[in-house]
Parts: sequence; structure tokens; C-alpha cells
Amino acid sequence: MSFVEFRFLWFFLLVFIVYWAMRNNTARKVWLLLCSYAFYAAWNWKFTFLLLGSTTVDYVVGQMLGRTESPAWRRFWIVTSVCVNLGVLGFFKYFNFFVSSASQFLAWFGLPASTNTLNIILPVGISFYTFHSMSYTIDVYRRKQPPISNFVDLTLFVSFFPPLVAGPIVRAVYFLPQLVSSRKFFNVDVRGAVMLFLSGFIKKACIADGVAPTVDRYFAHPANFTSMSAWTAVPFYAIQVYCDFSGYTDMAIAAARLLGYQLPNNFRFPYFAQNVSDFWRRWHISLSSWLRDYLYIPLGGNRGSRGFAYRNVMITMLLGGLWHGAAWTFVIFGALHGTALIIHREWIRLTEGLKWAARIMRWFAWPITIYAICFALIVFRAQDLSGAGTTLKQFALFCGGGDEHFHRWFLLVIVALALIHWLNFRRWFPESWRRWPAPVFAAAYGCTFAVVLLFVPPHYTPFIYFQF
Amino acid sequence: MPVREPVSKVHVEPPVPHKPTGCGTFVRALTNTGIGAAAFLITCVGLRVVLPFPEIDGGVSQKFRFFAAHKDEFDTLFIGSSRVYFQISPAIFDRVTRESGMPTHSFNFGIGGMYLPETAYLLEQILNLKPRNLKWVFIEYDEMQTKWSPENQTSRRALYWADWKRVSLLLRKLTDAGTDPLWLPSPAKLRDIVLREKDEKNTRSLLTFYAGQFEKNYANFARAADVLEYFLSRDTKKRRASYLGAASDGYVIRPGRMSPSQVAVYERALAAAMAQPGTRPLSPYAVEAYRQCATEVRSIGAIPIFLITPNTTQINVATENTGLPGVVMAFNNPRAYPSLYRISAHRDGHHLTKSGAEEFTRIVAANFVELARAGGVK
Repeated sequence: MSFVEFRFLWFFLLVFIVYWAMRNNTARKVWLLLCSYAFYAAWNWKFTFLLLGSTTVDYVVGQMLGRTESPAWRRFWIVTSVCVNLGVLGFFKYFNFFVSSASQFLAWFGLPASTNTLNIILPVGISFYTFHSMSYTIDVYRRKQPPISNFVDLTLFVSFFPPLVAGPIVRAVYFLPQLVSSRKFFNVDVRGAVMLFLSGFIKKACIADGVAPTVDRYFAHPANFTSMSAWTAVPFYAIQVYCDFSGYTDMAIAAARLLGYQLPNNFRFPYFAQNVSDFWRRWHISLSSWLRDYLYIPLGGNRGSRGFAYRNVMITMLLGGLWHGAAWTFVIFGALHGTALIIHREWIRLTEGLKWAARIMRWFAWPITIYAICFALIVFRAQDLSGAGTTLKQFALFCGGGDEHFHRWFLLVIVALALIHWLNFRRWFPESWRRWPAPVFAAAYGCTFAVVLLFVPPHYTPFIYFQF
Repeated sequence: MPVREPVSKVHVEPPVPHKPTGCGTFVRALTNTGIGAAAFLITCVGLRVVLPFPEIDGGVSQKFRFFAAHKDEFDTLFIGSSRVYFQISPAIFDRVTRESGMPTHSFNFGIGGMYLPETAYLLEQILNLKPRNLKWVFIEYDEMQTKWSPENQTSRRALYWADWKRVSLLLRKLTDAGTDPLWLPSPAKLRDIVLREKDEKNTRSLLTFYAGQFEKNYANFARAADVLEYFLSRDTKKRRASYLGAASDGYVIRPGRMSPSQVAVYERALAAAMAQPGTRPLSPYAVEAYRQCATEVRSIGAIPIFLITPNTTQINVATENTGLPGVVMAFNNPRAYPSLYRISAHRDGHHLTKSGAEEFTRIVAANFVELARAGGVK
């Protein structure tokens, strides 16, 4: 079940009405828990046991961490939690990748090894809920979060359906306190939430799914297209991936808000970033901050020598890339971003206090950043390394490729969408709807939604981040 | 270019303070939800009324637009799948009827891959045009299809016909609920569907699919493209001709003949079909759909004629006691029509070659004239 399908609407209406009709906070939480598991089971009911198992392990670890003060035991329990969570993630997501990569590696050395990959189904959202769950045990270990005795609360935190399958990655310290007290309907910003849902729906269903066929067509056979087509398809993909993912996030945040819960923001106009560091403070914020707090800083962060800090940056970005998927393209994507971050830091260090450098970057920072982002996205999207190479050649050197091309007005679409995005960034869109009488707002919303559906393609393209 | 960064209002706007009035707020929210839902439905219905006929691949739009523009010129219509599209030549049909003293002017509305319930929907749209001179409507007689290939499930072709009349029949068929007004699915079938047993492994997803198609159709999914097409009219003459045929009568010649391996397959299929004892009637859902078609055809003063084409899959379809308010012209008996089943007449198991199609059209026309003269077409 996806947020852009009609059946989600019926599902959410049922959840919403029953939830707010209940008075008791525990009953509401149990209801949300059941609905969250039903939501997950709609994809594959067998994997609800994996979700429950992962939660149970972290619940037990949390309890044990709360009962012991011995550093050795505490270390033992946190290592257990991390190993179980990463073990499950590693098995379902990376087993085949590691086996086939190891086999290829041995083959290079003339040691052919038989590979036995398994027919493993990747559970939807496993990367997200594993990180939700791990944030709880790590925070309990760090004493930032008291161990929770209510199993329902922890299970609901891990499985809460809006961010379950594609984020934002929610931390225990952020969400668990919200479960303590009963949510009040009059505190819910219904208008803001439904408008956010509409904006997310337009991003995903109209824009991302609208450009998806063009992107798919190009990346299926990049060698058949002209280099000018790469300059259409790559920005289209940048638009698709942003609208797809931030559209999902908007809808998830809106759905949670309608139930009285707040989720962290995940995007802050990332394509207007002035440098790559800035980009990661605006793009998938919940993942980048998770990696910063639970990986980069424990690795040593900026402490120590420059080389040591850059090593930490590179490890974090490589693992961040690998988090996205079990393929070398994602590892290279992480490496490219890691390299860009290091170059940016070096540039800052070398040009500190130089006015001419600041003047140059005033004009060139944004174009260089957006080009670097698109460059890395090529590797992210490519079906394999050879496809990535072809596209990179077309995009960077204007050479290679065939004679197929896209219509020129596709470039106009890019310009139009960029303009709308910029106007939104500059807050040009009025929010007068907040002042309208409620029935007028409701009627206008219904009419607008009906008109928006005219622009939704008949085919449903799964959310890109579902596969992660 | 450097840009100052404001904070997005949409994302971080603090909630507007509300008056804490408890239950009343929730009830008001539900009322407003109702107003929003009503506005949504009214807008959807309103848009549906004003939107032009959808742009559908496979020649549907081209044939529909052509027929709409020339609706009063034709008195005979053929509608069905590729077995009508590539096998009935209106020019030959009209020549035979003219030579027999019963002149007609016919149009071929065959569309590749079009079966019930799509045929029934399209026929209804054609009849809604009120073609004044239409006298005879030949409808291909075949089982109702419930399965769509995954690659076609995402096309607009799988969406535009999904109104309640068609979807309800499909849902009834999938749940074995019968055609009575009281909709009672068979408990055994429901159990099998829920447990994904026996032949019902994909039925649940088909039920969800058709329910989704119905919702999408009424919510006018992807119809903005139709407005664009209506104003820009990017349909080229060449493209139109590829669907309407050289004579603009809807008939397109499909060249080709069977390879030796195809011949072997065809011969085996033909022998197996002829060896099968007895006949199989169509499902009550298909019969109900045809009954509705017949009623609609008669309502504009025309006469429905059901047509079974010569192919190996329909040899055992029952033609007696069909319960239909219309005559069935059946060509599914290889013993009665051996020339239509000879290898040289077939392009594959389902379709005739050019010469086979021409012969088939002549036989249809001759039988039609004979039947009409004998008063058999009422």
C-alpha cells in the first residue's frame, strides 16, 4: 500500500476516525500499532515477524541496559543489539552483494569460486526501521534515553506506519516522549497537514511519476542517446528523485501530524545548497544527522589530524552510500560525495580570509554544487558501471552516444519546474488559505485534489526509496 | 547565483492556535471532511462530463473520432477484437450485399486485444453518438476477460472503460457472485480467494486492481493529456491511416503466413478442439454483458448480431440456447466451414490471412443476406 493509492485513503480515513474517536491513550496506541502492522502486512505479512523480532530484541536489550551499571555488560548488550540489527540488515540486503563481489574479487586473482547466492526478498523499509530501532538502544546505552518498559510504545515507535517504509528516520528521543501523553485533536494543524499532504502528492504522483518514463527510457540504454539527451535525462532524474523522496516525506509527516505526532523534517530545499556540506544539511537530513551522530562522531569526527577527519568523512559517506543499496554504484556515489566534502573542506581551509575566493564563490558556488550533485546522481541511478560511464561521458565531455534524443520542450519542463521550486523557496506562494472559513477551505481542497488527479499518470511508479 | 535562504513556511509553520473545544472540534472536522469529499466528487463528475473522449492507444481514439465525424454515413457496424479488425473487410461486405440487392455501408470497429467488457463500453459510447442510420451491429461473441497482462495493466487502455457497469460484472465474475441484483459472492470462492488457494492465487490482486481502476477512472486520472491532445490535435494523417486502413473503413490488412512450426501447433490445436466432445456455454457474466449490449443496440432502433469468428479457441463455444436477445452467426464449426480452417487461410491459430479474411467476409455477408431475407434477423 502506497500513500498515492486510493486504498491508502480508505485505510487512513478508518485509522483517523477510529483513532480520534477513542479516548484512552493506550487504546489509541494499540489501535495505531495494529494499523501499522496491517499496513506493513499489506506488502508481505511474513515480514511482520521480522519487524516484531527486531523490536523484541531491542526491547530486551533496552531492559538489560537499564538493569546493569557494569560497563562490560552494557557494552555486551549494545554490541548484541548492533550485531543483531546489522546482521539482519546485512543478510537481507547485502548477502548476495558480498557473495558475488567476493567471487569476482577472487576471480581477478585467478581463483574462481562458485557463488551460491540466495533468492532473498528485500523487506520493504528494512533500512529505515533498523535505524529507528538502533537509535533506541544506542541512546539508552549513552543514557540519553531511559529504557522503556512499555512494549507497545517501543513497538509503535519502530513500526509507526507513516515513516515505516521510507523515512524520515525517527529517533527514539524524538518520538517516544510523544507517546507518553494523549494527543489532543484541537492541537492538530489539520489545514497545514492536509496542504502538506497535497504538496507531497503533487511532487510524487504528478511530477516524479510524470518524468519517470523519460528517465527510465534514457537510463535503460544511455548509449543510444545524444549527449544533449543526457543533459535532459540527468536533471529529470534529479527532479524525480527529489520529488519522489521529499513527496513521500511530506505525506508521511502530514499523515503523522493528522494523528497528532510530529516527525522530523527531512528536506530543506537541497538543490539550493551552496556547497556539498550544505547539501547534506538539507538532503535526507534524518539520515545524514543519524550517520553524523551514530557513526561519524563515534569514529572520531573532526578530532585529531586532518587526515584522520577526512578518513572519517570518507568512511561515513561510503557506508552512507552503501546504505542506499547493495551495489557498487551506491558505494561510488558515497565515495564521490565523500571526495566532494573533502575538497570543499580543503578549499575552505586554503582560501580562508581570501576575498577574491569569496567573490568567485558568490557566483560559482551554486552551479558547481548542483553540477556535482547531478554528476553523483548519474552513478546513483545508472543500472551498472558501464551505463554510468557512458552517461558521465555524455554529461561531462559532451561525447559518446547515439542519435536518439528527447523533444526540446523537455528542457522547458525543467525550467518551469525549477522556477516553481525557486518561487516556493523565495516564499512567493501565499498562504491565505489559512484564513479561509473551514467549509470554504474544505470545498476548495476537494476541488483542487480532483483537478490534480488529471495530471497523475495512470501507471503507478513505486517510491524510489522503497527499495532502500 | 547566490540566493538568500528564507525558511519554508509549508514545512515549519507553527500550528495555528485552536480553541480547545474537545469533541465538537472533531465533529466539525468530520463535517468539513464531508464537504471536501462532496466537492471532490462533484468536481470529478463535472470534469468527466466536459472532458473529450480519452486518447487511447491501439486505434481506439482514431476510430472513435472518425466514426463520430461520419456516424450517419454507416448503417452496419462490426465491433470486436483483432479477429474482427483484421478479418472483416467492409468494402467486400458492402460489395456482396449490394450485389445481393441489400446494400449496406459498413464500418469495422475492431480493435486489437479488445474483449468484453471493453467492447461493451466502447459500443455504449458509439451508440451514445446516436448514429441515425445504423441498422445492423455485429458484435464479436467471446468470453469476458478478467486477466490483463502486467505490462498492459498500467496503460490507459486498461482504465478508460472501467465504469461501474463493467467493473461490477468483472467483480461478480471474479467472486462467482452470479448476475442477480442481490450480490452474494460464493462463500467457497471467497475462502479460496482469501487463502489464495487453487486457481485463485491472483484473484485478490485482480479484485484490488479492478476496484482501483474504477476509482481512477471516475477520478479522471491522467486526463489532462486528453485536453492537450484536443487542443493541439497531434494526430497525424499517417497515424490515423494506420488504424483506419486505406479505405478509411476501419479494416487493416495484416500480412503474413504461418511458419512450419506454427502450422504444426495449429494442426494440433485444431485436432484437439475438434476431438473435444460437447459444447461450452459462455459464462453468465459474458451473457449478461451481451444482453446489455443488445438492449442498447435495440434502443436506437438497430439490430444486434453476434459473431463467432473462425479460430481454434472458439470451436466448442455453444451457439444454441445462448439466452441472448439476438441472432448468433457462428463460424466456429470446421466441418461446416472447412475453407476457413485450412492452413493457407490462417496466419496463426486466431487470425486469418488476407485471402482468408476476404473469404470469411464474403461468407459472413452471404449468410447475413440469406438470414435477413429469411426473416432470421430480428
